[in-house]
Amino acid sequence: VNSIKALAVSSAAVLALGVAACGSSNSDPSASASGSSSSPAVTLNGAGSTFAAPIYQQVANDLKGKGITENYQAVGSGAGVSQFTAGTVDFAGSDPSLKDEEISALKKGAPVEIPFAFGAITVSYKLGGVKSGLKLDGKTIADIYLGRVKKWNDAEIAAQNAGVKLPATDITVVHRSDSSGTTKGFTDFMSRYSPEWKNGPGVDKDIKWPTGTGAKGNDGVAAAVKQTDGAIGYVEQAYALQNNFTFASVKNKSGKYIAPTLASTSAAGNGISIPADLRISVIDAPGADAYPVTSQTFAIAYKDPCKAGLSKAKAQGLKTMLGYLVGDGQATIQKLSYAKIPSALQQKATTVIDGMQCNGAALSGS
Amino acid sequence: MAAAAETVAPGGRPLSGRSSRSRLADPVFQYGLGVIAALVLVLIGFFFVFLFGKAQPALAHQGVLSFVFTNDWNPSKEIFGGWPLVAGTLITSVIALVIGVPVAVATALYINELCPRRLRSPLTMLVELLAAVPSVVYGLWGVYVIIPALKPVQQWAADTFSFVPFVGGTVAGPSYFVAGLILAIMILPIVSAISREVIATVPPDLKEAALALGATRWEMLRMSVLPYSRSGIVGASMLGLGRAIGETIAVTLVIGNASVLGQQVFDQGYSLAAVIANEFGEAANDKLHSGALIAAGLVLFVLTLIINAAARGLVLRAEHRAAGSAA
Repeated sequence: VNSIKALAVSSAAVLALGVAACGSSNSDPSASASGSSSSPAVTLNGAGSTFAAPIYQQVANDLKGKGITENYQAVGSGAGVSQFTAGTVDFAGSDPSLKDEEISALKKGAPVEIPFAFGAITVSYKLGGVKSGLKLDGKTIADIYLGRVKKWNDAEIAAQNAGVKLPATDITVVHRSDSSGTTKGFTDFMSRYSPEWKNGPGVDKDIKWPTGTGAKGNDGVAAAVKQTDGAIGYVEQAYALQNNFTFASVKNKSGKYIAPTLASTSAAGNGISIPADLRISVIDAPGADAYPVTSQTFAIAYKDPCKAGLSKAKAQGLKTMLGYLVGDGQATIQKLSYAKIPSALQQKATTVIDGMQCNGAALSGS
Repeated sequence: MAAAAETVAPGGRPLSGRSSRSRLADPVFQYGLGVIAALVLVLIGFFFVFLFGKAQPALAHQGVLSFVFTNDWNPSKEIFGGWPLVAGTLITSVIALVIGVPVAVATALYINELCPRRLRSPLTMLVELLAAVPSVVYGLWGVYVIIPALKPVQQWAADTFSFVPFVGGTVAGPSYFVAGLILAIMILPIVSAISREVIATVPPDLKEAALALGATRWEMLRMSVLPYSRSGIVGASMLGLGRAIGETIAVTLVIGNASVLGQQVFDQGYSLAAVIANEFGEAANDKLHSGALIAAGLVLFVLTLIINAAARGLVLRAEHRAAGSAA
């Protein structure tokens, strides 16, 4: 055992992991000798969601101490899933869960889909004189994006904002031009409250917008909203906070106007039914305190990664990473302005992760 | 080679006396270069076939003519009418030419004919430095500087000149015009560099003759330099056009990405390259949508091919004329 330990320490030193690696092997004395010798030098490659990319980057930092090197390419959910299907990456990050046909396209076994963070899609605006958050319901937002409500003092907006002095500024609509899960979530929300939207532009990652400027990425939309008085745009919460945007409180399913905060975003996970495969969607969630325009992000891997050609050490690493995402990593996630998942979901996710296998045999604990 | 072996080189040493290795060098060199040159053609051919193959599902779904000329780009409804994209590409490129070519030609004339000799190479270098700026930098500069600065100017122009066709309406900020303006700056180096080369080929006797006849400098430029180099300048502009048509990221950032065909110069629009940049990331799983985007690339490819062929033709004609008058 001594020689193995010496080997582990020296190889760790060679890998320049230094104190961190030693610390992890010391702090985890219960791990078997084989575990500690295989834990350095695991590299996990992932690709997908740009929304969750900052989380994966930070988690990669956190996991270095556990001997896991994680590379993540933020190429978009769709591209991530297709790379995962093609077998070029070990895990995929995707904002929507896999569709049935995407699951049946996976030739190397069943997937695990782990939701680990929620994000609010804020309806941000720049309007001189109106500092406090306006109240908007789904239908009004849809009417703005349909080009029907053209001025900020329109009766439809005024009716929900008694006491707020609205200027007669023209509304400049800004939307994403690149295909995006954020767009899908936002259009999904609008279509639930506006039949015209549902039957017109519809719900997708990229649609034919009836009006407005298309800007590339969250930062593009943020830049456009920042520059124009009267502009309205949908951006993820982190970007809205970064730019000090004012954003609307949006009316949720139970009729309350809720401002997007980390707590109200997490609350979107309460009261939804969680299926055994965890394929949830938190848009327009029923909870009384839930912010309605909320999306989730999944990490997707094979339930039995070894059958998909991964080594046991890699499978172990994947399990460790997923466990960290729904466990200790939740604190990291909140630090990055994403909302953590509620505890009920956390428990179910842990059960699913514990069920991961290597060639049919259970993997040891993370 | 049999005939070559019989001949005697000027030095008097029979070729057949050389080692077989040195005799082999020539054909090996010739065929080697031939193969490499052919590879380029094969690559272009392969490229075309590949694009066509991948675009096939979308083209079959939509029809080739309908793909190019239908004004309805709606991926979520599986309608791929690319006219707003094709038109946007052409409109921005034409604006780029209208603004960029006069400036580029004026720069070339100034550097070649008017500017003090000392300034000539620094100026040339500065203009060519424009080509070294990454296009995303132009785009970001457009988003953060040009669009906010030009919005009131555009609105003023739209209101004041609303009697001109395709001018008027409410200005949103990003527009065909801004995209064209950014493109004009981007094509400036190539157009001015080629124009300078062409203007330098104007025979000095032509210029001196004009001056001897009492022409002013301006008259000399107008009557002998410009007519002589006109087709070369047109060729240069076409190469600039080719550059403008394919530009992706700068245009994506400033054109507004609205797939509704704009009615005015100051309206927002879309371009073929921009739609590919925007939608490709998430279209990978969807054969039809990714096919449509590749078809957009195919249209772009064909457009560029046509323009480059036309440019070559014009430049060749200019060279012919230059050679003809020199003889």
